[in-house]
Amino acid sequence: MTTGAPRTRKPVSSSKDYGYSNARIRGMRSRLLTRAYFDELITAHDISALIQELSGTEYGPDLEDVLIKGRDAATIDEALKNNMVRTFRKVHGFLNEEAGYVLTTLLGRWDVFNIKTILRGKHMHLANEEIAEGLLPVGYLAQVELDALAMLEDVRAVVDTAATWGLPYASAMRAGYVAYMRSGELSDLELAMDRYYADWASIRLRRRGPNMKLAREILERQVDVMNLVMVFRLQKSDIEGVDVESFFLLGGRVIDLDFYKELAQMSDVDEVLDRLRGTAYSKALDEVAVSYLEENSIAVFERALEDHLMRKAAALGTSDPLGVGVAIAYLWAKQNEVTNLRIVVKGKAVGMPVDRVRGELILV
Amino acid sequence: MIKNRLARWVFGSTFVLTMLVPAIAFAEEVVAEGDVAWQASVGKAMAAGLAMGLSALGAGYAQAKIGSAGAGTLAERPEAAIWIITLQALPEVIVLLGFVSAIMITG
Repeated sequence: MTTGAPRTRKPVSSSKDYGYSNARIRGMRSRLLTRAYFDELITAHDISALIQELSGTEYGPDLEDVLIKGRDAATIDEALKNNMVRTFRKVHGFLNEEAGYVLTTLLGRWDVFNIKTILRGKHMHLANEEIAEGLLPVGYLAQVELDALAMLEDVRAVVDTAATWGLPYASAMRAGYVAYMRSGELSDLELAMDRYYADWASIRLRRRGPNMKLAREILERQVDVMNLVMVFRLQKSDIEGVDVESFFLLGGRVIDLDFYKELAQMSDVDEVLDRLRGTAYSKALDEVAVSYLEENSIAVFERALEDHLMRKAAALGTSDPLGVGVAIAYLWAKQNEVTNLRIVVKGKAVGMPVDRVRGELILV
Repeated sequence: MIKNRLARWVFGSTFVLTMLVPAIAFAEEVVAEGDVAWQASVGKAMAAGLAMGLSALGAGYAQAKIGSAGAGTLAERPEAAIWIITLQALPEVIVLLGFVSAIMITG
């Protein structure tokens, strides 16, 4: 069992050669799908045509492995997921110590995502197989470990097992579990994990050097996005008597506690957007303000912020060509590509219009 | 960090001594012919040694960097092999230039 190690693993100062890994990642980046290729995929006739198109790409071997189960959207989805996991593991395998340390920290958010998926599944009494389908083991926890957690009986068993394995999130899970038992709201447990991750990651990245600084910037933006999403959610819900401060995550870049409280107390979304004017997130949010009015759903803001984060991470590949930025940019771009492909496949499966599918994609 | 600093000192001292010992030995031979000639000869020997040694170090450093990046590229794009081999060989020119400079200095 490899659990618990992220807490103690430290970067070795002598292992900072990025020549090999960055050159290799650039080679891999050259095989990412282009915007023109996505246009071709969107206009494919049906799922079979999509499979045929994708067979000639990086996803070919993964598709071959699963096509025996059938030629439907679920199968392609599984192949895409397998490819993403394989790629992330491969990159992690050849990075130097420092880059490995940085990425283990940043990809820790996937561990949180996976554990939260398992907890949600257990909370809603979903079948183990259904939970396993939603997992993406690209963080520190491997597929086997996540499968083992997904097979457990209930939320309590997951929390106990995490503690037994010595996972970094175990203490937060245990504390969150007490609140969960009291309120019956899974969000208490999830919030405890998010808060722990933000603290844990910021402590790990509190080291000197340009690569650590860059990783800190990404983490701080992630925390900002999580806080802003919470602000928009609070705007849409009734917050009378709710302690908004309890949802705040420390460690953001722009959104500190005072700013967050100010935003959360505003009367409507328009005011929030006005107050955010001049910050790094203003442009991304303003661009989708009209869509929000049309759809009346804060999901458009969540997506715009994710889009913003993705573009910032992808830009690191060019702004930091000799450091860990290349690996971060590639992994974020790969994740974005898989997300886009899943949207195309799902859109094709349900007969979504081409323009609508195109609008859903984030093409960096 | 300390190990690194120590390694740098050991390497630096060895390098300087390697450069100085032949120059000093050569200087002992010519000292009888007069101060000016002695100084010129020692200066030439040191300059030639520096030109050759530093260019070799520079080429080695460049080849190490190109080598690791080239290995990374070849792992993902084997079709780039010709380019990588060409790039790997390019820094050799630096040594040749150093060698020519050394000959011109001593000759």
